[in-house]
Amino acid sequence: MADLALAEPLRRSQLVEGLRSRLAEIVPTLRVIAEGVLGADSSIDFVGVEPTGRAVLILIGEEGDDLELIGRAIAQRAWVEPRMRDWIQLAPDLGLRPGAGARSVVLCPSFRYETEAAAAALGSGTVSLVRYRTVQSGGRLEILIEPVAREIARVPTPPRPVDPASPAFRTGLSHEDLGLTAEEYVAFE
Amino acid sequence: MPQKLEDVLDYFLPGAAAPASPARAMADSSEGSQRTHPPTSDWGLDASPRARAGRPAALPIIALPIGDRDVVHAAFAWNLAVEFARCGANATLLAPADPAAASLWPPSGRGPIGAELELVPATNLRELNRAALDIAVSRAADAPNGGVVLARVPPAWLNGMSEGRALLRWVLLFAATESKDLRETYGLAKRVLRAGPTPRIGITIHGVRHIDEAERAFSRLADTAQRHLGHAVVSYGLLMDDLHIYRAIVAHRPIGLEHPQSRAARALRDVARLLLEDAQGPAHG
Repeated sequence: MADLALAEPLRRSQLVEGLRSRLAEIVPTLRVIAEGVLGADSSIDFVGVEPTGRAVLILIGEEGDDLELIGRAIAQRAWVEPRMRDWIQLAPDLGLRPGAGARSVVLCPSFRYETEAAAAALGSGTVSLVRYRTVQSGGRLEILIEPVAREIARVPTPPRPVDPASPAFRTGLSHEDLGLTAEEYVAFE
Repeated sequence: MPQKLEDVLDYFLPGAAAPASPARAMADSSEGSQRTHPPTSDWGLDASPRARAGRPAALPIIALPIGDRDVVHAAFAWNLAVEFARCGANATLLAPADPAAASLWPPSGRGPIGAELELVPATNLRELNRAALDIAVSRAADAPNGGVVLARVPPAWLNGMSEGRALLRWVLLFAATESKDLRETYGLAKRVLRAGPTPRIGITIHGVRHIDEAERAFSRLADTAQRHLGHAVVSYGLLMDDLHIYRAIVAHRPIGLEHPQSRAARALRDVARLLLEDAQGPAHG
């Protein structure tokens, strides 16, 4: 196995070029439909579409950009979603679907706790975080990419459908836990 | 300080607990109207020589089953502790140091006017009981005017296991007036009774706008508990629905200090008085 060593950060143009060919690893079903789109006051590095018709906005940052980038990711998503119908009208074959929404993927060398917490608080399907590292492998430069698992762990689970037979009480107990008989139950009708 | 094992044995042996007087309990049940609007004059604890001479070896412990996300009842508990302290009593609120329930509490340690919040590394009822007892004994030495230890019990720990059930000798349950809340409170009472046969179960009704609402709610609970569980629950007054309560909860500030003249603060003070009165009684003092 070749020796790996962390490499100096790439120039932004090199980085974007290097990551372009790796996007399918980040979002396997992604089809890139645009690059360098001027969105909400800044550029979206890549705009792609998933088979579901959802738009995927990819933002690439450098060390220390993560907090700013998550804010931009939300802003760009808010900018893209209302424009998707226009894009579909202009280019129906893009694969975008009205109402499918958009999500963002932020790539940075590292993420602070606050960034991860913010991404988790937004819930699944809003902003995904992906860490990248540039390494020297033999004589070649390579970019390693790794989704931030913490984000997945912190994504709040969707609320379970309400089961009228066992509603949760403020104690966190269920009807079964409380063990009321039918007679006791109706005493509080 | 306790001098002999017998001084504190009562806390280790649930069967040794003196049951609440049935007459008193029934009177409490039937005196709903009286207990739901007690006098609001200034409270003075009995600091007479007789009271000082009869200083207990351990402060009474009141267990409060409160869910991990139940910020309202947790706020009541902390506010009660502050009211105890305002009354001159030693007041400690004890809770398991559970990250899942961290949002329930203000920062631990000594808070307003000496009320104290202690988060302890208990993971079950037995450990919590031990921690509560330690505090009850140690605080008794510094409590010339008496005091109370409130212990938050995760409701899931009321699972019928006998270990630690001594902690459930005196339980206070909060209940709103909705049917669902009353069922939940009743269910909790039932779980408490499963753990031990002779606990004192007190009820404080909250979220009411009129006294008769609280009286009706308490009567339903008391009647059902008597009929199906053969147990007389005790009324510990009511807490009025008041915007100040929710503001205080959000701000993690005691309502009795933020808005001392509000209806909510006065009602809270009354509940604290009722509890202190019983804490000084023969069964618990």
